[in-house]
Amino acid sequence: MNHQGGWELIKNTWQSWLQHRGFFFLLAFGWMLPLLVYLFIWSAAAGDGSIAGLTQETLAGYYLILILTNQFTYATTNWTVGDTIRMGQISRWLIQPMSPLFHALSAEIAGKVVFMLFSIPVTGLLALIIQPQFNLTWSQGGLFLPAILVAWVLRFFWGYWLALLAFWATRADSLLTLQDTFIFLFGGHLAPLALLPSWMQPWARILPFRYMSAFPVEVLTGHLRHNEILWGFVIQAGWSLTAIILYRLVWSRGVRHYESVGG
Amino acid sequence: MFYIKLILAFFKTSTQSELAYRSNFFIRLLNSFLNLLTGVLSLVVIFNQVETLQGWDMPSALALLGIYLLLGALRELFIGPSLESVTGMDGEIWTGTFDFTLLRPVDKQFLLSFRHWRIFALFDLLLALVVLGAAMGLLGSDLSFGAVLSFILMLLAGLVLLYAALLAFSALVFWNSGFLFTWIINDLFQLARYPVSLYPNWLRLILTWIIPVGLMTTIPAQALIGTLSPWMTALTLLFSLSSLFAASILLQHGLRKYTSASS
Amino acid sequence: MTSPMISVQNLTKVYRVPERQPGLGASIQSLFKPRYRDVEAVSTINFEIEAGEMVGLIGPNGAGKTTTLKILSGLLYPTYGKATVAGFRPWERSPEYLRRISMVMGNRSALNWDIPPMDSFHVLSKIYKVPTSHYQRNLEALIELLDLHPLLKKPVRNLSLGERMKCELVAGLLYQPDILFLDEPTLGLDVAMQRRLRQFLQIYNREHHVTVILTTHYMADVTALCPRVMLIHHGHLIYDGALQTLAKKLAPFKLVKLQFSTTSTDFKGFITQFANTERLTSENGHHTLRVPRDNVAQLTAKLLETLPIADLSIEDPPIEAVIDQIYEEGRV
Repeated sequence: MNHQGGWELIKNTWQSWLQHRGFFFLLAFGWMLPLLVYLFIWSAAAGDGSIAGLTQETLAGYYLILILTNQFTYATTNWTVGDTIRMGQISRWLIQPMSPLFHALSAEIAGKVVFMLFSIPVTGLLALIIQPQFNLTWSQGGLFLPAILVAWVLRFFWGYWLALLAFWATRADSLLTLQDTFIFLFGGHLAPLALLPSWMQPWARILPFRYMSAFPVEVLTGHLRHNEILWGFVIQAGWSLTAIILYRLVWSRGVRHYESVGG
Repeated sequence: MFYIKLILAFFKTSTQSELAYRSNFFIRLLNSFLNLLTGVLSLVVIFNQVETLQGWDMPSALALLGIYLLLGALRELFIGPSLESVTGMDGEIWTGTFDFTLLRPVDKQFLLSFRHWRIFALFDLLLALVVLGAAMGLLGSDLSFGAVLSFILMLLAGLVLLYAALLAFSALVFWNSGFLFTWIINDLFQLARYPVSLYPNWLRLILTWIIPVGLMTTIPAQALIGTLSPWMTALTLLFSLSSLFAASILLQHGLRKYTSASS
Repeated sequence: MTSPMISVQNLTKVYRVPERQPGLGASIQSLFKPRYRDVEAVSTINFEIEAGEMVGLIGPNGAGKTTTLKILSGLLYPTYGKATVAGFRPWERSPEYLRRISMVMGNRSALNWDIPPMDSFHVLSKIYKVPTSHYQRNLEALIELLDLHPLLKKPVRNLSLGERMKCELVAGLLYQPDILFLDEPTLGLDVAMQRRLRQFLQIYNREHHVTVILTTHYMADVTALCPRVMLIHHGHLIYDGALQTLAKKLAPFKLVKLQFSTTSTDFKGFITQFANTERLTSENGHHTLRVPRDNVAQLTAKLLETLPIADLSIEDPPIEAVIDQIYEEGRV
C-alpha cells in the first residue's frame, strides 16, 4: 500500500474539512443531540433516587461516554460512498495505484479528528454542568480500547457494505438510515440496555448494533460482569468478521458489475 | 388574493419537480414510518419503566409527540424547503441565483417562506394527525370544548414560533454564508419531542427564552390536557407574535447586508 | 422626454474581502484571526444611456462589469455616487422598478431545473402580474422569434446550454421590461447559437425599443449589437463611445495585404527601410504586413512604385487583437 500518498491524502482531506468546520461541527452537534435528550429523560425518570440501579450521576457518565464513543465509531464516509458511485467518481479511484478503501479510510481518520475537535470540548463542558459519576478501573480502561476499536471496524464495514449496494440500487443510502434507526433502538441510545423492556433485551444482545456503540461504554463504566464482557467480545468479533467478508464480497461483485455496465 | 394565487402556482410547480424524482417517494415513505416508529417505541420504552414522568403520563406524552410530528410535518411541507432552497446547502445564496429572487417584484419574506412545497410531507401530516387522534382517544372524557379551542390557538402560536425561529436563523446566513444556521434549529427541534419541564433548569431557560423550541410543543399539549393557565395562553400569543416581528426585522437587515457586500 | 433612461454619477463600490494564505498553518490561523482587504471594484464611473440604446460593457475578468450591472439592477448598493434608472433609485428595489427591468445571466439560471420551462414561465407571469391575455401574446411572440416550440415540454435540466439560454431570455422578457441587463448571455454557446441570439436581440430591441446593457467577452457580440461600448478596466471607465472609433484610436498599426505579380519577389530589404514594420504571414505570394498607422501612406506609395504589385488592400486589425492590447496595457 502507498503509505506516503495515503498520508498526503489524509492531510489534504483534513485541511479541506477544516475549512468547512462549521458544517462538520453542526453534524457533530446533530448526532450528539438525541443522546442528550435521552440522558435528560432518564435523569428525570431517576429523579433523586435510581432507576434499574442507575442514578442521575451514573446515567450522565454513561451517556457522556456514549456521545464520544458514538462520535468515534460513526462512519461518516459511508454516506458519501453512494454519491461517489453514482457520480462516477469511483472510476478515478479505480485507476489510481492505491486501494479505493484507502480513500474511505483517509476521510474517516481526517473526519474523526475534526469531529473530535468539537465533541471533546463540548462533552467536557457538559460534564462540568451535569457532573457525571464514573468508577473507572485500569482493567476496564484496558478493555475499552479494543472494544471501541473493533466497534469502529464493525460499524465502518457494516455501513460500507450496505453503502456499496449503490452499485446496483441508486438509493442504497436509505439502508444507512435504517442502520442508524436500529442503532438508536438497540445500540443503547434510546436507553441503556438495562432499561430496555425485557422483550427487547435479547435482541439487543444478539444483533450487531449494540456492538457498534454501547458495548465499549458498558465495558468502561463497569456495567458488565466478566462473562458478559467475554461473550460481548466474541459476538463483536463475529459480527466484524461477517461485515468484512460481506464487504469483500459486495465490493468485488460490485466492481465487476460497474465495469460491465460502464457506470 | 395575489399571494394566494402565487402560493397555488408554487405548490403546483413544486409538486411537479418533486414527482420528477420518483425513487425519492419510497425513501420518504420509509423515513416517515421510521420517524413514527422511533417516536412511539421511545414512549413505550420510557413508560415501561415509569408510570408518570413529572406529571406526564403515556397519553399526554403521546399527545405531545403528535404535536411534535404535526409541527415537523408542517415545517417539512413548506417552511423548511422554502428557506433551505435559499440558505441551505446548494441553496441560492451558495449558487448565486438568489439575485433573481431579489429582483422579483414580490415581498421577499413571502418568497423566502412559501416558494417550495414538499407534497410528501402531507403523508407525515396524516401520520401526525393519527397519533394526535389516538392520544385524544386515550385522554378521553377529560377533553372540553374550551380545551380544544385553546389547543388550536396554541398550536398556531407554536407554528408561528417555529417559523420565526427558522426565519431568524436563516437570516443569519447573510452574515456568514458558509454556515447552515437552520440546521441548529432542526437539531434543537428534536428536544421538542418531550415536555420542556423534563430538562434541567439551565436548558429549560434556553429552550423557553432564547430558542423557544420548548414552548412550541409543550404549551399546545398543556392546552389540550387542560393544565395551561389563561395567563400563559395570553403570554404565549404575545411572545409568538413578537418573535415573528423580530425575525422579520432581522431578515430585512440581512437583505440590506447582502446587497451591500455581495460580489 | 429629455432625461436619459440610465444616469450614473461618480459611482463607486468598495468590497471587503477576506484573505487566506495557502497551507495548513494558515488555514488554522484564519480560524482565529481572519484578515481582510479593501478592493475598489468600481471607481467614480459616470455615464448616461438613452432609452432604446444597446450598450456593450466590456473589460477583462474582474474589471467591475458585473458589479456595475448589479448596482444598476438593484442587487447592490454603491459605496458612493448616484445612479438613476428609469427615474428610480435601483437599490430601493421598489416593485414598480423591478417590473420594468430584467436581468439575464449566462452562467446562472432563473428557471426551475426539474420542470419544463413552460411551467416556470407560468409562475413568473403570476409573480410579475402579467394579465393572462398579455402573457399569452408575449409568450407566443417570443416562442416564435426564438423558435422554441419543441423545447417547452422538456425539463430544463435536459436542455442544451443554447436551448436553456433561449428559455432564460423568454423568462426575462415575458413581462416586457423596458430595460434589459444581459450578463454574458452568449457564454459557452457555439457560434451558430451565438449568431441566433444576436439576431434575436437585434430584432427585439428594434421592435420593443428596450434599453440594453450587455456584458460579454465575445467581441462579435459587441460588433453585431452595440453601436456604443463602454470599456471598464480595474474599476475605471476608460472608454465610452463608438466601437470603430475605439479601434482607430487604439490600433497604432494597420494590416497591409498584398500580392505580387511574380511569385518569387524578395522584399526583405524593402521592409527593413521602415521602422516597426513586420511581415506577419506569407503564403503563395500573399503577404500580410503590420505597418504603423503613420507610415501606411508612405509605405504603400513606395510599394507600388518599386515592386510588381498585383493586388493590395489596407485593413484595420481584428477588434479582438485591439482589445487584448488594451487589457494588457490597462489604458486607452
